[in-house]
Amino acid sequence: MTGASPDAPRQLRASSLATREEKSKTHDEPSPREEKSKTYDEQPRNQLPGELLMWVLILSEIAVFGAGLIAFLAVRLTDPAGFAEAQSHLHRTGAAANTLVLVTSGWLAALAVKAAEAGQLRRLRLLLAPAILLGAVFLILKGSEYADLFAQGIGTETHAFYTFSFLLTGFHAAHVLAGMVLLALVGWLGTPKAVETGAAFWHMVDLVWVLLFPVVYLL
Amino acid sequence: MTRATKAWALLIALSAASTAFAASGFTGAALVVPVLALSGLKAHVILRDYLGLSVAPGWLRGFDLGLALLIVTFGTLALAAY
Repeated sequence: MTGASPDAPRQLRASSLATREEKSKTHDEPSPREEKSKTYDEQPRNQLPGELLMWVLILSEIAVFGAGLIAFLAVRLTDPAGFAEAQSHLHRTGAAANTLVLVTSGWLAALAVKAAEAGQLRRLRLLLAPAILLGAVFLILKGSEYADLFAQGIGTETHAFYTFSFLLTGFHAAHVLAGMVLLALVGWLGTPKAVETGAAFWHMVDLVWVLLFPVVYLL
Repeated sequence: MTRATKAWALLIALSAASTAFAASGFTGAALVVPVLALSGLKAHVILRDYLGLSVAPGWLRGFDLGLALLIVTFGTLALAAY
């Protein structure tokens, strides 16, 4: 016979918890009880501003464009001179201007989020309208670069550089177009949550561009 | 001045610095390192101030680490081509 009391398992669990708490104290870590008592806002996953799914999308886009840019730079190792010659046909000045365009558009979108939170519907729409127009300016500058390349007889199959640059910048431009539609939609809805989500997508487009621009146009 | 406006001014300044390096005629590490470092700084500012990760410092550090690894990979491959 063991002679153990019926409360033994409970006492064992309590003792184990106490031991873990003691260990946690010595290592300045939150004890299991402290961890459990954290408020909803203190949980790491709940600290992320905005929609969790939008953050999943942002991470995915960084990963996709990052992989594309790594592939671009890896293929460049096979023909550095050819890549440098091909790069000289791109509109570097237009692309640099497009960085300013997107950064400014992102600023207007960030201000629109604040206006939405303050319930200023008219102000948020007045901020989102030029943000969308700047997106159109981006696409016009990008389109003029493509038109110039096509006029020179350059296409996606002219050189590996153009295969990658058209693919990466074209995919990014498609995101700009989608972002413009999204900003128009959330401006029409006007709710803080919708505007925050639309602006987050727009900032992601901005973020991808600041990684893409130096690799494709400058290095 | 709001946080977003300060961030915009900083991003414009960082973009101008990138353009200055690109127009300087530098090649190799003298071009790659500063241009990619400025790119990383711009990404950090967008995440912190535009996307609001200043309220989630742990997540901001995580994104910064991931982006730093990506940019170091870009830099290594770019320098290998010179």
